[in-house]
Amino acid sequence: MSTTTIGIEKRIVAAAALFVLALTGVIALSVRVFGIGLPTCLTDVRPFREGKVIVQGPKRYEIHYLARMWKFEPADISITPGSTADIYLSTADVTHGMQIPGTNLNLMAVPGTVNYARVKFEKAGDYLVVCNEYCGISHHQMAARIHVTESAAPPPVTAAATPLGGQEVLDKYACTACHSLDGSPMPGPTFKGLYGSRRTMADGTIVIADEAYLREAIEKPNARVVKGFDPLMPETPMSPAELRALTQFIKTIK
Amino acid sequence: MKSAVTPYASVDVEPGLKKIILFEIAFPMILLVLGITMGLLQVLFRAGIIRSQSFLGINYYQGLTLHGAINAIVFTTFFAVAFGHAIIRSHTGKPLLLGAAWWSLILMTGGTLMAAVPMLTGSASVLYTFYPPLKAHPAFYIGLVLLVIGSWIAFFSWIPIVQQWKRENLNTKMPLGVLGIFATFIVWFIATIPVAIEILFLLIPWSLGWTPTVNVPLARMLFWFFGHPLVYFWLLPAYVMYYTMLPKLAGGKLYSDFAGRFTFLWLIAFSAPIGIHHQYTEPAISTTWKFVHAFFTMLVAIPSLVTAFTLAASMEHGSRENGGQGLFGWWKKLPFLDPNRWLFGYLFAGLFIFIFGGITGIVNASYNLDNVVHNTSWMPAHFHQTVAGPVFLAFIGGSLLLLSTLSGKEIVLKRLNVWIPYLWTLGIMTFSTGLFITGVAGEPRRTNLGLSYANPASPLYQPSWRAARVAGTIGGVIMFLTMLLYFVIFFGTLLRKKSSAGALAFPVTTPYHDEDVAAVQSIRPWLVAAVILLIVAYTMPFVELARARYEGAPPYSPASPVASRR
Repeated sequence: MSTTTIGIEKRIVAAAALFVLALTGVIALSVRVFGIGLPTCLTDVRPFREGKVIVQGPKRYEIHYLARMWKFEPADISITPGSTADIYLSTADVTHGMQIPGTNLNLMAVPGTVNYARVKFEKAGDYLVVCNEYCGISHHQMAARIHVTESAAPPPVTAAATPLGGQEVLDKYACTACHSLDGSPMPGPTFKGLYGSRRTMADGTIVIADEAYLREAIEKPNARVVKGFDPLMPETPMSPAELRALTQFIKTIK
Repeated sequence: MKSAVTPYASVDVEPGLKKIILFEIAFPMILLVLGITMGLLQVLFRAGIIRSQSFLGINYYQGLTLHGAINAIVFTTFFAVAFGHAIIRSHTGKPLLLGAAWWSLILMTGGTLMAAVPMLTGSASVLYTFYPPLKAHPAFYIGLVLLVIGSWIAFFSWIPIVQQWKRENLNTKMPLGVLGIFATFIVWFIATIPVAIEILFLLIPWSLGWTPTVNVPLARMLFWFFGHPLVYFWLLPAYVMYYTMLPKLAGGKLYSDFAGRFTFLWLIAFSAPIGIHHQYTEPAISTTWKFVHAFFTMLVAIPSLVTAFTLAASMEHGSRENGGQGLFGWWKKLPFLDPNRWLFGYLFAGLFIFIFGGITGIVNASYNLDNVVHNTSWMPAHFHQTVAGPVFLAFIGGSLLLLSTLSGKEIVLKRLNVWIPYLWTLGIMTFSTGLFITGVAGEPRRTNLGLSYANPASPLYQPSWRAARVAGTIGGVIMFLTMLLYFVIFFGTLLRKKSSAGALAFPVTTPYHDEDVAAVQSIRPWLVAAVILLIVAYTMPFVELARARYEGAPPYSPASPVASRR
């Protein structure tokens, strides 16, 4: 064996390693700079059983897609060009997929979960919504449409319209009437430092305040009450986007 | 003057082992006739040439299940075991434990037949990935388990043989082929543990009605914990042929022994902690862990790049030894169409296809790029350039080699045989090019397109997804015809009269650079690395799944939107 030959081979290994590290760097950059991400783990939104479109404001939509054998609900939507849609996806039965060719939206609908992505529809046109995971013998028929057209009815800003920022959700439901943001004592536990902390319940159990706990504490607040507090809070049903905005906001109050 | 390439390392084997190996290559080959026919039907359905739910009584999705299960699971597992027997037997020179080998054969065959019945009767049309909550007949899952256990028994039976060899050859490196087979089956063993957990603890009790629901996100994570190392289980026997046979067939030596050992050992460590790259578009996994798996997936590309370099260097060396000249002129001196070194073409063509399969694999691994290609026809285009490219060509070439040498029968139609790998390459490249183009446009995989997206009468008709319909069909038909020719040669050889007693005879390469690098002499540290990497990559994703407590799903038949209750 000669030392020069192993030198060449080591350089080849090193060059291959540098190449793949550079590729990883480019990916990281595309996430940071262009904000092109992947769906992440949502535990603060409960799987839903009906599809709907919620108009958030001019050019802002929240779409709840329910995938089921062998259709999407809602099947047909019209929105105006330049609209941004927060798309939540849940399934009523088996695993489905959802892709909107011409956009970066590609989501799996996995039973028991909710998936999420945000899409901006810049160009007018008829967008096809395709089920791209095998879901049974009529899988090939499972599709929906999104019509992006100027003639789409101007979105009525309904009373049910939801603000998207956590602060606005906080105001809408008057959370701060009972929960402080700075640690000062009020009828309910403070939000300061709440996320991720260990909570002792009235029954002595200990719970970590993660997203799933926050969801439960908002939707069914009196199922478990924190030790030292009274069961005063009303059940507060929120839309998935509101819940998410609120839990994300609570996370930031450290 | 032609170099002498005939000196195959020849080993006389016990009649029992001969029977076992010949059965393990001939039995899946009979099933492969069905699997390949289903492949032809796929392209005809998808192009809208067949416009119906079923053809010849076989539903599209039933045929797709058969195509995947036979070609990618049954054929590959049988070949890996038969090839493993052959390599361990010939490279150590030691007789194998025949009792274990028979049990392995019986379990694998029994399992295959058991799973085949529900697939053929249409009660397991769940595709070869069998994602719950679509439910197959319990016999499908139990058959898969038996197939896997059979393959484990073969592997376990080689361990004492190789340990004995090591004791007798203390200062000698483990033969490269033996290391490659061990890498293959270590990867397989690591991979099959999570899928065994999925099938035994989640799917079988649920399919029998003992548990009402199944945790789908958990089942999916366990499946892909298996699903990616699975592809290295397919690839590694091909790598064994590339590293130990190809340089010899090219008329030279393996450029670097170190490169081969590094490749096999690196794949032991890195082939499993990367399964989440199949789950980029799923909920229930956070982006942090998706990115970690993306990074590890990039690292698994390193040995493939090293292999590309080493094999090209080995072929160049072989050519120059035989008068090859010039910067590129040496390519002309390789035995592309030499009927006596016909295996060269099978291996070379596979490597050519793998260039494209490898590059598109890096695209798939690239985190957010997956948004564009996930579950589109880009995916089958990619894995037909990997598993149906280098892997398939090496396996059908290897099957023919084992058949003819072991049974002592001359290959029929020798001059046509040399064309098979190039015809197959033409077919695969045409097919894949079409599917890549429409995949990027959003055409879904695993879909009976002829009834909707490829049907002008349907409101879903997509005229712009034309490339896959045209090129996919042409490529698919070329592949099918090529395989018909192959089957004529394989079964023609099988049914022929013996011309010699038959022995295990492989082209065996010696190294050109026989380096002594301590880090690649022992499997153990790489096994430890594999375990550590798995703990790093999978602990938190499983903890996240457990914390979230997802609601379970009842079983569904693929034919009905109403959950089946027992």
